[in-house]
Amino acid sequence: MPIGTNVTGKMVTALKRLGFDKVFDTNTGADFTIMEEANEFVERVKSKGTLPMITSCSPGWVKYIEMNYPELLPHLSTCKSPHQMFGALIKSYYAEKEGIDPNKIYVVSVMPCIAKKFERQRDEMKVNGLNDVDNVITTRELSRMIKQANIEFEGLEDSQFDNPMGEATGAAAIFGTTGGVMEAALRTAGDWLTGESLEKIDFEAVRGEEGIKKATVNIAGNDIKVVAASGLANAQKIMEEIKFGKADYQFVEIMACPGGCVMGGGQPIKNSKVRRDVDVRKLRADSLYSIDEKSVIRKSHENPVVKKIYEEYLEKPGGHKAHELLHTHYVERPKYTD
Amino acid sequence: MEENLVTLTIDDIKVTTKKGTTILEAAKEAGIDIPTLCFLKDINEVGDCRMCIVEVEGRRGFATSCIQKVEEGMVVHTHTPNVLEARHVILDLIISNHAKDCLTCTRLGNCELQALAAKFNVLNIEFPGERIEHQVDDLSPSIVRDFNKCILCRRCVAACKNVQKIGAIDCINRGFESCISTTENKSLNDVNCTNCGQCIEACPTGALHEKETINDVWAKLKNPDTYVVVQTAPAVRVALR
Repeated sequence: MPIGTNVTGKMVTALKRLGFDKVFDTNTGADFTIMEEANEFVERVKSKGTLPMITSCSPGWVKYIEMNYPELLPHLSTCKSPHQMFGALIKSYYAEKEGIDPNKIYVVSVMPCIAKKFERQRDEMKVNGLNDVDNVITTRELSRMIKQANIEFEGLEDSQFDNPMGEATGAAAIFGTTGGVMEAALRTAGDWLTGESLEKIDFEAVRGEEGIKKATVNIAGNDIKVVAASGLANAQKIMEEIKFGKADYQFVEIMACPGGCVMGGGQPIKNSKVRRDVDVRKLRADSLYSIDEKSVIRKSHENPVVKKIYEEYLEKPGGHKAHELLHTHYVERPKYTD
Repeated sequence: MEENLVTLTIDDIKVTTKKGTTILEAAKEAGIDIPTLCFLKDINEVGDCRMCIVEVEGRRGFATSCIQKVEEGMVVHTHTPNVLEARHVILDLIISNHAKDCLTCTRLGNCELQALAAKFNVLNIEFPGERIEHQVDDLSPSIVRDFNKCILCRRCVAACKNVQKIGAIDCINRGFESCISTTENKSLNDVNCTNCGQCIEACPTGALHEKETINDVWAKLKNPDTYVVVQTAPAVRVALR
């Protein structure tokens, strides 16, 4: 199978064979992140709050801003990252619904990222003393588990994620690539700001390989200036602009790894010859955009699972319960200087 | 237009390519693969390890193909006996100062040094000699650094310092004492590392890897009193192949 092949079905089968009681999709968590983040953005715009708002789902990026630009922390969205949000929902909503003692639930996140190992251990990533997530393993480690269990991956049949938390939108799929979180958030914020279901779904200007992608998006007659940056050197450029008042963005997406999560530090390592001959980032990103394109539902706020859980449990985006489970805060961290 | 093109010969194959192209890239265009080790496209293109050396007719010594630009009429040979012997010596020297515990290394089967050793059929340690034993740094929640497996290619340094502009690690000292270190040799946990892991992605060997926690997962999966739930991030499903 070529690099970048979407193997969702086989991956789910492999996880079931490894013995997990339930196999859920962090993409559903990403839809919740968009609900909360788009709501936070709309609120900030309406109340003339701190802008630009900056995304907070990349834990390498979060640690970077905490160390290097603590004065800009009020710009950072208070949203937890998708897997942390989802872990908190599994141990609250899902546990309650299924009658399982949350103390007996062990949540494992499979991530393209090693900073997530640090993130899950942060004191803020707990609700009522319980960790949102109990273990983070990388894509590489999952690959090793599949090998250890002697599972012949390529021959596996496809399976679906488990219900009731297995439904996700195309908007969530593109979280894995630079510009994707911004695009997903604009789809939802656009509908909310105009009060209608907008036909514009694709925001091409924030796609592609460039480290910094700027765009002006017109929503309900207002120009919204956005920028998506990946790689910390690019993040630094944007932070310097904001710090010195040279930026007029309203919304900023930052991912620590160049290209975003598809090129995360936990992804299977491709040797230098492969990286010379093939654009690994593009192949993986194209595959995510194709998942989005083929999805029937492409806006997070139209996800039926998300709607149901807000109705039954969370009440509304930015509400009290949502804040308790899905939001966090940040700390200034000392920077080492010689 | 034409003045921007250069024609040269590599292993008897005529190649016409853009001015400014390296011999390594031009060879690739001609379907010729030259081995590299410290080279990592767009990240580390410095010609340090000299694994990619070639012979250029009419020149003394070897040319380092990953940085040497093509010139009109150049005649290049990528695998003469001299080139092969020199690459073998370079490899012998690197291996002499590298840990030999390949069977218990996380990069077993996916190590660029191991792949080269296999290619060159390295059957004995040509230069045994003194080695400095380094302590493994595993205090970070994310990254383990095992300098005993480092080959000083500097790919991690380039990723951290140039790509990410963090500079949590750098090359210090000279000669035999050279090593990649943090300030005052502190743990990665105590310097400005953001845990992004781009250094791991750049590393050709097992000198940098994630802190593995799958044994805890196996233990929980076997415990009948634990309800083990797994969730997978968007980018995982497109990277398993």
